[in-house]
Amino acid sequence: MTQPDDRKQAVLPSPLQTLLLGDLDRNSPKNHLPSLHSLALQVQHNLQYMHSWTDLRIHTHSPITNQPLPRPLLSGLPPLRLYVHPDEQIELLKQADRQRIANKEAGGGSNALVIKPDPEYEWILPTRLSEKWTLRRLADVFGAISMVPPEGDSAMVNNHGQANRWRSTKRIVMATADTDSTIVYYIIHDGVVKPRPN
Amino acid sequence: MAPVAEPFPISHITGRYLLFDIDAISHARREHNICGVLVGTIPNLSQQNVFLGVPLELMPEEARVLIEQGHAYLVDEAEAHQTGFAQMKREDRLAYLQTLDQQGLERAKVIQERKEERSEKVLREKGLVPMKQESSCVAPSETSESTSTPSLGIGISNKESTAELSLFGRPSDPPKPVALPETKLEAQFITPTTSYPPLAPRSVNSSLPLPKVAQNYPLFRYLHSMRYFSMPGLRFGCHYSVYPGDPLRFHSHFLATGIGWDEEFDLLDIVGGGRLGTGVKKAYLIGGEDSDKATQNASGDAPNEESVRAFSIEWAGL
Repeated sequence: MTQPDDRKQAVLPSPLQTLLLGDLDRNSPKNHLPSLHSLALQVQHNLQYMHSWTDLRIHTHSPITNQPLPRPLLSGLPPLRLYVHPDEQIELLKQADRQRIANKEAGGGSNALVIKPDPEYEWILPTRLSEKWTLRRLADVFGAISMVPPEGDSAMVNNHGQANRWRSTKRIVMATADTDSTIVYYIIHDGVVKPRPN
Repeated sequence: MAPVAEPFPISHITGRYLLFDIDAISHARREHNICGVLVGTIPNLSQQNVFLGVPLELMPEEARVLIEQGHAYLVDEAEAHQTGFAQMKREDRLAYLQTLDQQGLERAKVIQERKEERSEKVLREKGLVPMKQESSCVAPSETSESTSTPSLGIGISNKESTAELSLFGRPSDPPKPVALPETKLEAQFITPTTSYPPLAPRSVNSSLPLPKVAQNYPLFRYLHSMRYFSMPGLRFGCHYSVYPGDPLRFHSHFLATGIGWDEEFDLLDIVGGGRLGTGVKKAYLIGGEDSDKATQNASGDAPNEESVRAFSIEWAGL
């Protein structure tokens, strides 16, 4: 029972698997474990194709100290603003309300409050659910990242001429991957930051 | 609310930290953002646990914060009572017993008066005149018409009333004064509800060790230094629910859990806490003291808040 060579494999490797294998072949990471590197790739893949993020990049070195990061981090741009600080939300609502009144006086225009803050670059920390973490390691991660990812800095300046003044504490999106490849995302702020009034 | 002199005493009884003085309780809440939990109930109605009163039980963290900042001091009540009463002077003791007797007598008098009022009322309803002990009997000629006749006539048929008339003679007969059984006034036994007085106010320099606290204390101290109010967080599965102002006026902002700097935690706890917090419009907060920085700053006796790091966690909504 020999099989012809050109026969299709019973189970094709998933696109994610091909991506991971291909990447590891191309550039074997020097500073981090391959498992951490492929985790970053997995999260990048999920963000790109499931949540439509763009401009995703893997960072192996800290933009502040240029030392190797505790693990590879990602940065990227979500399609919509991911986080609005409660105080910023109040200001945006006031702006939108003024806009609505102006529209009404001009005649026509919808009567709805339109709040569309521009998306901002975010840091992403890839983790696995099976891992144990400590406050020290979390603090190390925060110590190594900048307020806004490096490429975000220039983009912000280009768009508005100034960074968002409400972004005053560091934040990182913790991506936690389970073994069934489910990934959940939680925002971690550095410090005591009041919650959003959802 | 009477002004409270600082430092005020915190009673340490069987491992609990209690405030018995209502002024101290409101002072701690108003000035120092310390809420505690009211635990007092009525001794003979102890099932009633919805409306609780003094004493106020403080978490060890709350007691420690107050003591560390010099607003309060700790008193071992068992010891204070034993020595306090043992060293009491004989005259003081007698004077105190006398005041207790006096109070008991007053109480007995009030009870006696109430009793008399009641029986007088009952007798009046029956159409009888109670015999007053101090005042002389009311003149029979005056009361005869006004009190006896109407009450006798009510609801009684003619036949019966004639029968009664024959029995009692003339209807205008004055009612006979009824003598109440006379009782000798005996002092009630009073169980005193306070120990201060009779005991003298406790001295500040009876120094007890600071309350023992778990490793979540640095986070509590840190949040307290930022003027947050903390309440026990059991109902949200955390150590403290943290309020931006008085819990009677604000919803809580954070579900805080204090952990050690190198204590390992599961990411599932972060996910669960973050998810629960976001579901109830709060943020999950973890924090602890950087042990390296804490030892660096250990030279200064005041605890340093810069060594504490906290992280707020919210669901990203992805």
